[in-house]
Amino acid sequence: MVPVRYNVRNLLVRRTTTLFAALGVGLVVFVLAASLMLNEGLARTLDRSGSPATAIVLRKGSDSEMPSSVEDRAISLIKVAPGVKQGADGQPMVLGESVVVLFQDLANGKGKSNATLRGMPLDRVQAFRPEVKIVEGRMAAPGSDEVVVGTRVVGRFEGLQIGQSIELRKARAVKVVGVFEADGSSFESEIWGDVEYIRSAFGREASVSSVRVKLDSPAAYDAFEVAVERDKQLGLEVMPELEFYSKQSENTSMFIVAMGSLIAVFFSIGAMIGAMITMYGSVAHRKREIGVLRALGFSRSAIMVSFLLESVMLSIIGAVLGTIAALGMGLVEFSMLNFTTFSEITFQFTATPEILVRAIVFGGVMGVLGGFLPAIRAARTPPIEAMRG
Amino acid sequence: MTLTSLSIKNIGHNWLRTILTVVGTAIAILSFVLIRTTLSAWEAGVDNAAQDRLSTIHRVTFVMPLPKRYFDEFNGARGRIDGVDVATFVNWVGHKHPVRETEFFATLAVDTATYFDVYPEMSVAPDRLAAWKENRQGAIIGEALAKQFGWSLGDEVTLLGTIYPGDWKYRIEGIYVATKKSVDRAQFLTHWSYLNDSLPEGQRDMIGWVASTVTDASRAADISAAIDTKFDDQDVQTRTMSEKALTMEFLGGASAILGALDIVSLVIMGIMMLILGNTIAMGVRERTHEYGVLLALGFRPKHIATFVVGEGLTIGLLGGGLGLLISYPLVEQGMGRWLEENMGAYFPYFSIPTSVAALALGMAVVLAGVAALVPAYSASKLDVITALRRIG
Repeated sequence: MVPVRYNVRNLLVRRTTTLFAALGVGLVVFVLAASLMLNEGLARTLDRSGSPATAIVLRKGSDSEMPSSVEDRAISLIKVAPGVKQGADGQPMVLGESVVVLFQDLANGKGKSNATLRGMPLDRVQAFRPEVKIVEGRMAAPGSDEVVVGTRVVGRFEGLQIGQSIELRKARAVKVVGVFEADGSSFESEIWGDVEYIRSAFGREASVSSVRVKLDSPAAYDAFEVAVERDKQLGLEVMPELEFYSKQSENTSMFIVAMGSLIAVFFSIGAMIGAMITMYGSVAHRKREIGVLRALGFSRSAIMVSFLLESVMLSIIGAVLGTIAALGMGLVEFSMLNFTTFSEITFQFTATPEILVRAIVFGGVMGVLGGFLPAIRAARTPPIEAMRG
Repeated sequence: MTLTSLSIKNIGHNWLRTILTVVGTAIAILSFVLIRTTLSAWEAGVDNAAQDRLSTIHRVTFVMPLPKRYFDEFNGARGRIDGVDVATFVNWVGHKHPVRETEFFATLAVDTATYFDVYPEMSVAPDRLAAWKENRQGAIIGEALAKQFGWSLGDEVTLLGTIYPGDWKYRIEGIYVATKKSVDRAQFLTHWSYLNDSLPEGQRDMIGWVASTVTDASRAADISAAIDTKFDDQDVQTRTMSEKALTMEFLGGASAILGALDIVSLVIMGIMMLILGNTIAMGVRERTHEYGVLLALGFRPKHIATFVVGEGLTIGLLGGGLGLLISYPLVEQGMGRWLEENMGAYFPYFSIPTSVAALALGMAVVLAGVAALVPAYSASKLDVITALRRIG
């Protein structure tokens, strides 16, 4: 085999064209890695919102909490279903929440978008979602017109700073009194207030959007589901909370991945041509060297492998650069409309080792494909003619 | 032989590389045109939305309904609003196809008496319209939707309820065609009264929104304000604005995606510039000897530089031209027609705007020029002796 050192030195000698071709590959890898990271960020943010051994009850046929409604009298039936965990206060761990979206002005002045407003019995939040922490101001008081807002929406929408208020309807406003954190989950993109106050502001007394239930153990789920869904009159549907949240990201996630991959494939054709140009140039320049190598006894296949390797090295350099740039995107927050819930969700580009490896391998494959034809040309160079110049 | 023709001849120096570069540039231009056209198709929804039609919705959230009696204030039953011509009301029903659940389309329960007066750009044969009004379980559907699910006149269709639970049965009484491209051609229009009668007592007599046309579009803002003032002291307040303004606001939620696509379209231009720059730099390296000869013959360094830039511009122009040439059949004819047929709700118009085509060609030429600058500069700094001495 031709020593690898030979390839390294060659890439260094032609650093300008090496860099140009590598950067082309780098940009493609950047786009691919960034879209995979975006998808990962979305999935994680939603996954964190669900916890094991928790079930969510919605009206049958609802994809999300917003169009669903569960009557108060159904809640009392849910409370006595088998498998429902009893809280420290002796009450069953059942949380009925009212969810609406508010069409609010964006703080950046670029139109409006939907913010999720979630009404809940505020005194029970701590037991249900212990990860929630107030980071500024204080918790909203149960039964009042106060709300707390998630860290990710404070700056995103108008009117969500502490001390400001949003009108739900005439003379029915909610006041922001605090900002909360929820371990990076999608709750951080929401506004939380008292369920009674919020549902009466919208004339929705006596029903909630969804009911969350803590179960004794994950094993208790099946019995609970059967018991709640058995009553056809109620028309309810039970789902494990984790599954519910992964469904919430399905459509949006498909869109991001499909678009990211389509663009990356398209762009990679361009970048591969860039690598090909560089490698063809390299082969033409080194005709004499190839002749010498052949005369020294290196086989055709050794020459071919050597040039392919060089092309792969070139594109791996680019892929690494592109991946590093994509890692930089980890600092950027991204807000978009979740197509399933019709509301805004803010999340971060999130890298995983798997994504990084996939991006770099993609870059390497581009090197193989781009370098293939030039490597064949190199291998086919007849030694005598080549050495003659 | 002039310098220009020499410059053009030079691109034949290495045919394979020139072809690869031109193809690479063309693919970059194709991607650029594709992304930019998608962006402008999205925004075309705004440009084509009506300015003389108003939407009156719940003030804080579009998911909450308005009382039906609000509509009576528009049509004369309880009152009229000065400047409003005709009005209708609509309720979002959100049904799904029982089997193909993921294929989204809009199901609307409408006021059969007035709906098509407010939306004259949706045209139905008069006898079909009359038949639909007669049958309370009748539906009029868009031509695109009929094609998508293979539904035709007289078909009995059962849809799955989401907001309103249960199975809902309808009979297709008519198919509308759009006379303007801005219309969603995949709507499923049903009787509001049928929906209302099927609901439990407490949920009746609510509507999603009121749509009304105004006699004078220039007064739209004043009329909107007048409508909202009218309901200001009621339980539920309203927000009225032109369809155009509403569409524009909705784009706010998509702004992050639009922004990302915007950046991505610049990234492809970056890749294109790298390919072009690479080719030109390699050409300059290989021809150092020739430049030495030219210098020795008496050409000035600026001639050499012009020469290099000229070559870059020519390749850019060829690549850009080829890119546009393949964009039209692929993006406009192939993909554009498909999107308009199948995803008309999102992309009513999908054709390459002249400005995008011009921008793409301009970018190809300008970026090729820029990519040639550095090699051109180094070529012009060549010293005759070293250049002549250097081989390959």
